[in-house]
Amino acid sequence: MSFQFAYLLSTMPRLCAAALVNLRLAVVIALLAIVGATALTILRVMKIAPVNVVVAVVISFIRGTPLLIQIFLFYYVLPAIGLDLSPETAGVAAIALNSSIFIAETMRGGLQTIDPGQVEAACALSLSRRVIWQRVLLPQLFRRILPVLVNEITIVVKGTALLSMITVVDVLRTAQQISSASYRPFETLVGAALLFLAINLVVILVGMRGESRLAVRG
Amino acid sequence: MSATPVLSVAGLVKRFRGVTALDGVYLDVGKGEVVALIGPSGCGKSTLLRCLTWLEQPDDGFITIEGKAFGRERTGAVVTPQRRRQVDLMRPRIGLVFQQLNLWPHLTAIENVIRPQLVVLRRSRAEATERARALMANLGLSDRSERYPHSLSGGQRQRVAIARALAMDPALMLFDEPTSALDPELVGEVLALLRQLAATGMTMVVVTHEIAFAANVADRIAFMDQGRIIEDGPAAKVMTRPSDPRVARFLDLITPGSPGHR
Amino acid sequence: MVFDPSILIPYLPLLAAGTWLTVKISVMAFFLGYAVGIVLALVALIPHWVPRLVVSVYVAILRGIPFIIVVFLVYYGLPFAGVRLPAYVTGTVALGLFASAYYAEIVRAAIVALSPGQFESARAVGMSPLQAMRHVIAPQILRALVPPSTNMTLTMIKESSVLSSITVADLTYQSLVIQGNTFAPFESFAAVTLIYWAMTAIVAWAFARSERRLGRIEAENVGRSALVASFLSFDRRPAS
Repeated sequence: MSFQFAYLLSTMPRLCAAALVNLRLAVVIALLAIVGATALTILRVMKIAPVNVVVAVVISFIRGTPLLIQIFLFYYVLPAIGLDLSPETAGVAAIALNSSIFIAETMRGGLQTIDPGQVEAACALSLSRRVIWQRVLLPQLFRRILPVLVNEITIVVKGTALLSMITVVDVLRTAQQISSASYRPFETLVGAALLFLAINLVVILVGMRGESRLAVRG
Repeated sequence: MSATPVLSVAGLVKRFRGVTALDGVYLDVGKGEVVALIGPSGCGKSTLLRCLTWLEQPDDGFITIEGKAFGRERTGAVVTPQRRRQVDLMRPRIGLVFQQLNLWPHLTAIENVIRPQLVVLRRSRAEATERARALMANLGLSDRSERYPHSLSGGQRQRVAIARALAMDPALMLFDEPTSALDPELVGEVLALLRQLAATGMTMVVVTHEIAFAANVADRIAFMDQGRIIEDGPAAKVMTRPSDPRVARFLDLITPGSPGHR
Repeated sequence: MVFDPSILIPYLPLLAAGTWLTVKISVMAFFLGYAVGIVLALVALIPHWVPRLVVSVYVAILRGIPFIIVVFLVYYGLPFAGVRLPAYVTGTVALGLFASAYYAEIVRAAIVALSPGQFESARAVGMSPLQAMRHVIAPQILRALVPPSTNMTLTMIKESSVLSSITVADLTYQSLVIQGNTFAPFESFAAVTLIYWAMTAIVAWAFARSERRLGRIEAENVGRSALVASFLSFDRRPAS
C-alpha cells in the first residue's frame, strides 16, 4: 500500500467542514474556562474555609483523573441523576470544567508573583475590591499567564477530538466515517491531524502576537 | 629561595582558529612569590590561566610545576603529551579560582570544599571535613557552612571558592580577575583576603585589573600584551619606571591621579 | 438513583486486570518516551540548524495534534508500513512517542540550565570526566528533571485512557465494559475514577519523595500582610 496524496486531498472538504465543529466547540470551551477560572480564583482568595476544602478536592480530582473519564462521567452519569445533556453539551461542560481548573491553578501561581505593594497602594487609595480586581490585578494576571493560557487553549483544541468518543461528529469521527467507507484510514487521519495542527498553529500565532503587543504596552 | 620554581612556563603558544592568543609566553614563579598579571583586555591573560590548568591545551610550549612536567613532556627531542590521568593527578597542585567562581549549586558550602577532597585526594570524610572546617573558619565562613551557594553573598561565595581550591593543598594558586564579578564595596575585602593569603607564603598568580593590588601586594608584576609578557619585574619598578612604553601608557590609563586621568 | 457498589463485585478481576495493564503500559511508555526524549534532546543540542529543525518539527507535530489522533495514526500506520503488533504494544509505542516530544524539551531544558563552568570547575580540581559527571553534572540535571517529569508522567497515565479507543483493555476500556454489562454508569465510572485518582496520587507522592532525596533548594517565603493576603494568597493565614 502506498500513501495516496490525491485521496487525502479529496477528503479535505468534508474534514474542513467538520473541523469547524471542533473550532466552534473549542472557542465556547475556552471562553467558559477562562470565566470559570477567574471566578474560581476570586472565590478561593475569599478564604471561606468549607468552600476552599471543596475546591481543593475538586482540583485534586480533576488533575488526578483522565479527561476522557471526566467526559464519560458527564455523558453517562449525569443522565442517571436526571440531567439529560446532549453529547455536545456534556462534552463542552466536561472539558470546560477541566480546563478552568488548570487555568485557575496557573492564576494561583501568577497571583503570587504580583508585587504586594500594588495591593497596598490600591487599598490606600480606598478603591473597592471590585475595582482592585478589575483594574489592578486581573489585567496584570492575564498578561502574566498569557503564554500558559495559550498552551491551555491548544490543549482544549486537542481535547475536542475526545468528543468523538461520545458520538459528537467532529473531525476525528468524520475521518472515521470516511475511512470506514473507503478503507483508507491512514490518509484521512493524516488529514485530520493536519487540520488540528493548523488550528493550533493559528492559536499559537495569535498568542504570540498578543504577547508582543502586551510587551510593547508594558 | 630554592632553585626550582613552583611554576615554570616556557614558550607557550595557543591559537584559536588561526588567531594567536598566546605567542610564546615565558614565566617563572618562585616559591612564595605573588605575581600580578596585568594587561589590556584580550591580551591573553585568561587564556594563559586556562592553559596553566590544561583546561585549554596549548599548541606549543611547556609547563613545569615544582620541577615536574605538566601536560606534555620532553625526553631529548621527543615531545609526548601526558595521559589524561597524569594531568588529573597534577591538577590538585594548581588551585584555580574562576572569575565566575563556578561553585556547585547543588552542594552546601562546606560540601563544595569536602567533595573534591574525597573524590580526588581520597581523603576520609572525617579528615576532609576537619580540613574544610579549619579553612572555613580561617576565611570567616564557619556560620555559613551549611548554606547553599545561592544564599550566600558575593564575597562569601568567593571565599568558598578559595577554600575549595585551598583544600587540595595546592603548591600554586591562580586567580582569574577575583574582583571583577563583585560589587565595588567588596573589592577591598577580597584584596585584604588575597593579602592575607600571600602572607601565609602561598605562591600566587593573580590576573587583575586592580592596580592597588598589583602595587601593594604583588612581589612582581608581569605585563601582557598581544599574547606575550612584555615586561616582568619587581612591582615597584614596573609601576614607577616601566621600560616598555606600552606599559607606561596602560598604567597612565588605569591609575587614578595619573596624567592620563586628568 | 441508588449508589450500590456491590454490583461491582463480580467485576473486580476485570478492574484489577485493567489497572495492571494501565500501569504496565504507562511504565513501558515512560522508559520508551524518556529514551527517545534523551536522544532527541542530545540531537537538538548539536550546534547546527538541521538537527535542531528536525527535532523542533517532531516536537511541534506531536504536541500540536490530539493524542487520540496520534494513537489512530500509529494504529493504522504500522500495518500500512507492514508491521503488525498487538493493540497494547501499538498503544505503548504511541504513548511513548507522544511523551518523547515532551521529555525531549524537559531534558534539553535541564541540560541548558546547567551553567557552563560546572564541568570545568570539577575537572580543574582534578576530577576525571566520569567523576565530574557523577558528582557535579548528573545530580544537577537529575534534580532539574524531577518536577517537570512528575507532571509529564501524571499526564501519561491519564492520556493512556485514550488507548481504550483502539481496544486496548486498560482501565478505561473495562469501565466501558462494566458499564455496558451492568447499566450502572455511576458505579462503573466511580470505581475507575477512584483507581486513576489513587494511581496519580501515588506517583505524585513518589516523585515528591525522590525530589526531597535529591535535595531541593527553595527560596524562602516572603511574609505578607493580611490585607495583601486577602487578594494574593489562598491560605487561611498569610505565609510567614
